[in-house]
Amino acid sequence: MYILTEGEVNTDITKLDRCWAEIATFVFLPDRSGVSKEWVEKVVRQLPELFHKNHFVLFTSGSTGQPKLVIGSRERAEKLARVLHEVQDSEPCRQAILALPLTYCYAFVNQWLWSRVMKRDLILSGGFKQPDTLRKALLEANDALLCLVGAQVSLFTTHYGHDISFPGIIRLHFAGGPFPQNEIDIVKRLFPNARIFNNYGCAEAMPRLTIRPLEDSDEGSNIGKPLPGVELKISDKGEILFRSPYQAVGFYDDNGLYIPTEEDWISSCDLGEEIENGYWRIKGRSNEIFKRYGEKISLPQLLEIVYACWSGQAAFYRDVDISGEGGHVLILSPEPTKEQVRSILQAFRKNYSRTHWPIRVESTSSFPVLPSGKIDKSALSRITDRTIHWRQRS
Amino acid sequence: MNNKEKLRDLLIDVFLLEDSEFHFDLKREDVDTWDSLGVVSLAVGIQETFGYHLEPEEALTISGVQDIIKILEAKGISFDGET
Repeated sequence: MYILTEGEVNTDITKLDRCWAEIATFVFLPDRSGVSKEWVEKVVRQLPELFHKNHFVLFTSGSTGQPKLVIGSRERAEKLARVLHEVQDSEPCRQAILALPLTYCYAFVNQWLWSRVMKRDLILSGGFKQPDTLRKALLEANDALLCLVGAQVSLFTTHYGHDISFPGIIRLHFAGGPFPQNEIDIVKRLFPNARIFNNYGCAEAMPRLTIRPLEDSDEGSNIGKPLPGVELKISDKGEILFRSPYQAVGFYDDNGLYIPTEEDWISSCDLGEEIENGYWRIKGRSNEIFKRYGEKISLPQLLEIVYACWSGQAAFYRDVDISGEGGHVLILSPEPTKEQVRSILQAFRKNYSRTHWPIRVESTSSFPVLPSGKIDKSALSRITDRTIHWRQRS
Repeated sequence: MNNKEKLRDLLIDVFLLEDSEFHFDLKREDVDTWDSLGVVSLAVGIQETFGYHLEPEEALTISGVQDIIKILEAKGISFDGET
């Protein structure tokens, strides 16, 4: 077993191909994972012998910010790449353009592994860390597949303005966060020839569980139907549980090593429900739903209200009010005008009682992000560059 | 900014009123957001804006904007002659 870093692969992508072709299991680590190489090596030494060959290990901090190593079987992952090729109608795609970090499970399987298994080109772009390179890659795209997270949509406008489009992208996938339903007109303008999909999964699923073509629903929380062979059910707590023939074979986190059996159901840590005709709906992370003054607060639902009248980025973090009751703070980026804040607050008033309103509305110049490109929610309360626009006084 | 304007801005902010909804004869029952937590917010807002600490029982007797003005005027905060 050995460690391969993101930096090594970024300078020479063929290293990853060589590692995949070798028998020994490798750990693929982001450059800024927040954990030491020593920690990873210590964990790796504890893994059973059967994981030392023909596997790969990815790092995830998910939405919780807690480090976790996820062990995948190469055979399972390649099978999933083939399944994704079918269900995502990817046959016409000649190439994949990478706009996400390759250590991110979603990009690793949906793009790098797919391009390897299906013998398509992989175009590295540096993502929004190198916006000019990304723009060039997208403009030169030739029947390409692109994977994004919803939070990236606003970055297109920020970096490239409103008058650009990328007709060479013919398949566009979203995963790793809320589907950008409220920005779908912008997405269609940016990618006029793309079939658009909402994908749902998690690193433990390695990583996909469901898929929904855009046209199947106009509801952002609709995550579509399970992939072939994937089983979903709801736990007593309302969490989505899954069993998948492609899922990770083990996980290591603060609780130690967990190796699921074929009978085990694995929690996605998301709340959800089955809706009509085999479709599923996500209600948010289980830690994003809580009670405030006896009323159930769903931060994902509140975020939908915000995004209905706010085109920038938005997130909530938890805090307490002056009575010591737990609540939530809305933080926006970039800085809103007074009228935009009023408009968001009016939307809260129109749709919800006061207990659902945020304790404060703040803004920051930019959000802290995880290596995956998602907002680092665990760091929001520690942002020093913030402006308070409104607060509940209770 | 005079005291009437300060009170108007405070009530708009606490109860998330549209500017057009506000008038000085507004009653509690006219405002859907004038709930129990709203009463607490109002009391804190009055303390911050006018420096007067509204007792909880006093806050609960308020049935409209005119009651607030009466309470504050009784504490020497003048609204006379303000337009």
